[in-house]
Amino acid sequence: MSVAAQVTDSTFKEEVLESEVPVLVDFWAPWCGPCRMVAPVVDEIAQQYDGQVKVVKLNTDENPNVASQYGIRSIPTLMIFKGGQRVDMVVGAVPKSTLSNTLEKYL
Amino acid sequence: MKPTDSSNLSTDKSLEAMWQFAQTYAKRTGTYFCAEPSVTAVVIEGLAKHKDDLGAPLCPCRHYEDKKAEAGAAFWNCPCVPMRERKECHCMLFLTPDNEFAGEQQDIPIETIQEVRSSMG
Repeated sequence: MSVAAQVTDSTFKEEVLESEVPVLVDFWAPWCGPCRMVAPVVDEIAQQYDGQVKVVKLNTDENPNVASQYGIRSIPTLMIFKGGQRVDMVVGAVPKSTLSNTLEKYL
Repeated sequence: MKPTDSSNLSTDKSLEAMWQFAQTYAKRTGTYFCAEPSVTAVVIEGLAKHKDDLGAPLCPCRHYEDKKAEAGAAFWNCPCVPMRERKECHCMLFLTPDNEFAGEQQDIPIETIQEVRSSMG
C-alpha cells in the first residue's frame, strides 16, 4: 500500500544520514489520526520525486531513539535531511503543496 | 479488565469511556469530528490504550521521552491544555467548524472505532 520504506533506529544512519540524495522522513505513530491523513500525501511525493528524493517512514513508538535525538514532539513531523544534516521540517497534516514547496528548496 | 482480543488494543471499558467522552466534549465545545471517520477512530483508540497503560488518556499524536512522567504532568492528557484554552487539537479529534477537515458529526458509532482498530491492531 505504502511506497515509502520503513526505517528504524538501527538503519537510520545508513538509510537517511548517508543517503546521496535528500531524504524526507515521515515520523509517525500507529494511533495518530493526522498521520493517516498525511500518509497518502507522502506516498504521492515519493512517486513524484522518484530518483530525486528518498522518502522513508519512522515509527516513533518502535524507534524512540531517533525520534528523541531529533526532538520530535508533535506527530506527524516531516523532516528533510540533506548530506547527513536536518535541513527543514514541517509539522502536522499539511497539504501536498506545502510539502513539495519545502522540498523543492533542497533539490 | 482483560484486553478485548489482543494485548495491542485497549480494553472495552477504556474504549467506551473515551468514546463517550469524545462525543460529550465535542458537543460541549462546539467542535466536530474529522470528515474522515478513521482519523477519529484511531485517536479514540490511542487515548483508550494510554488510559489502560498509563492511567491517563495521554495524547497519541506526540512523542514523549517518558510517557509515564508525561501522563503524571497532565499537560497532554486529553483534553490537553491547548484544547481547553484555545480549542487547538493537533490530533484532529476536535475540529472547529472553520477547519477544512471538519465534518458535520459530533457522534461516531462505536462499531466504526472497533472496525478501524481491529484492521490495524
